[in-house]
Amino acid sequence: MAKPVTLKELSKKEILFASGHRLCAGCGAPIIVKMVLLASDYPLIAANATGCLEVSSCISDYTAWKIPWIHNAFENAAATLSGVETMYRSLKKQGKIDKDIKFIAFGGDGGTYDIGLQSLSGAMERGHDMLYICYDNGAYMNTGIQRSSATPLGADTTTRPAGSVVPGKTEQRKNLTKIMAAHNIPYAAQASPSHWADLVRKVRKALDIPGPKFMNIISPCNRGWRSRTDDAIMLSRLAVETCYWPLYEIENGVTKITFKPREKKPIIDFLKPQGRFKHLFKPDAEDFLKRIQDDIDKEWERLQKEEACFSS
Amino acid sequence: MKTRILMKGNEAIAEAAVRAGCRFYAGYPITPQNEIPEYLSWRMLEVGGVFIQAESELAAINMVYGASAAGIRAMTSSSSPGISLKQEAISFLAGAELPCVIVNMQRGGPGLGNISASQADYFQAVKGGGHGDYKIIVYAPYSVQELWDLTILAFDKADEYRTPVMILGDAIIGQMMEPFYPTDYKKPELPDKDWIIDGCEGRLPHVIKTLYMGDGELEMMNNKLQKKYKNIKNKEVISEGHFIDDAELIVVAFGIAARIALSSVIKLRRKGIKVGLFRPVTLFPFPENELFLISDENKRFLVVEMNAGQMLEDVKLAINGRSEVLFYGRTGGMVVSPEEIDKKILSLIDLKCNVKM
Repeated sequence: MAKPVTLKELSKKEILFASGHRLCAGCGAPIIVKMVLLASDYPLIAANATGCLEVSSCISDYTAWKIPWIHNAFENAAATLSGVETMYRSLKKQGKIDKDIKFIAFGGDGGTYDIGLQSLSGAMERGHDMLYICYDNGAYMNTGIQRSSATPLGADTTTRPAGSVVPGKTEQRKNLTKIMAAHNIPYAAQASPSHWADLVRKVRKALDIPGPKFMNIISPCNRGWRSRTDDAIMLSRLAVETCYWPLYEIENGVTKITFKPREKKPIIDFLKPQGRFKHLFKPDAEDFLKRIQDDIDKEWERLQKEEACFSS
Repeated sequence: MKTRILMKGNEAIAEAAVRAGCRFYAGYPITPQNEIPEYLSWRMLEVGGVFIQAESELAAINMVYGASAAGIRAMTSSSSPGISLKQEAISFLAGAELPCVIVNMQRGGPGLGNISASQADYFQAVKGGGHGDYKIIVYAPYSVQELWDLTILAFDKADEYRTPVMILGDAIIGQMMEPFYPTDYKKPELPDKDWIIDGCEGRLPHVIKTLYMGDGELEMMNNKLQKKYKNIKNKEVISEGHFIDDAELIVVAFGIAARIALSSVIKLRRKGIKVGLFRPVTLFPFPENELFLISDENKRFLVVEMNAGQMLEDVKLAINGRSEVLFYGRTGGMVVSPEEIDKKILSLIDLKCNVKM
């Protein structure tokens, strides 16, 4: 079991994701990557699916990654890392490597929820010793804000634009964390950069568990969310406090909520600062707002019941 | 219609598809073609059509397979890496003889490459990028006007021959805006779609499939396809020439490279240099005869492409040794400039005719 780590200790560690990358000012992804890499006491190897994080961190001859890093295509970060990890195990068995190395894959929601789901599912089922991290910003931000299956209800995107008839996305988002937990992997969790201690603890825990692990981390995107560039942490905190993005973990099938807001905020607190939801604050959109709130309430209730049935 | 309108290439394709009666579009985000799905995401709703953003390129083109089998004019679009993912289904569409339109706004490759304009998917498009003996009709537009016109034509030819048709564009042509005449669509006489799957009450069932396990069955199917391709070769070739008759050096180029080469050729003609341009508009069927007929031992050909020399092979096959065939190309999403082409042409003309500038 990984030792808890303090902020003071973390501040003394080398940051393995260098500044100078081309991600937008105010993007959540590099904050998440820095926290994840800081959290580890092990040497790491990372794979990256195509996406904002990948294109912006490896421009021409430069890399922001101070660890071995591999990129292949959009749909196959988990498959690519499966190959790397398996080769590592083989070399270790042959006595050619003695280091204890951990493997992390990073993918956005497009490359994880949608096109990469098959290879992710395969890697989890085969039981590769890896931690797959999805930084979920809720749309295809790299190609220009097209909807994904992680896009929240009511969000305006370029392929599901809000207009006089359509209130943005009308379909529910996929609950990927639940899908991954249903693979009966030893560890699946949700985290948020606003709750750094929780995020770091989860990464450390995951890396210590052998086998396949999955973490879904909310990643604000001011371009796609139409929010201020300095609101990333505030918005990810509101996502947690409104229970839009509950912080929980499922360890060996046992669900545990790791942060319970003292007072659950109404979802409009999370939606209002974001331009992608501005059409929902017109007078005739109240029913739709209510539907969004109801869905969140229902899911939050379900999660609490799920936790309760293990704690009794 | 006599009024010109200003539109981005990708949006012109999307609108032309709607005008041509396309009522089903499935796509997936990839740069530089995102304007096509973005435009159709609201436009299809206006005309009662279907827009679906799929979870992958594979899913998108297989949705097109389904829609086409149901008898609807269907389209998908992508850019190079995404078109690679679609290849399995393109083979299936060709084998099942399902009409559809596939747009490839090419970007630099191989791999993820870059998002700049390229013509490196020529082989993939023209030689049948998937498995099996098949061909698809490939149009190579070089202006937004042609994007409009050829997209409309593509839907008609797809239905006429029951075949997938590809619009092979590139990042420049998809992204650039230029004025054009949005000609009205007049549906030609086309064979009835008496093969679609729409419920067989009161008639014998229709079969759309690509699996033929009986002895010789699959060869018969292949023979049928080859007959169709021969027919397409005889009837559907489109090409154009500029200043060909007295040209000593003929540039051969398609798509955006032809557009760039044309400005170079016009400029050099004004200076009295005998240079011309031959432009295949259809890449399959390739204008073999047209090229052969303008070749002789006194002419030389310069193939200009934004790849390492792909159409070059077809030009050589067509000319069959009658003329010298040379090549100039840029790869990796680098765009050829008119000045580069000027320089190349002048270096060749100088060698042979000693023309002084």
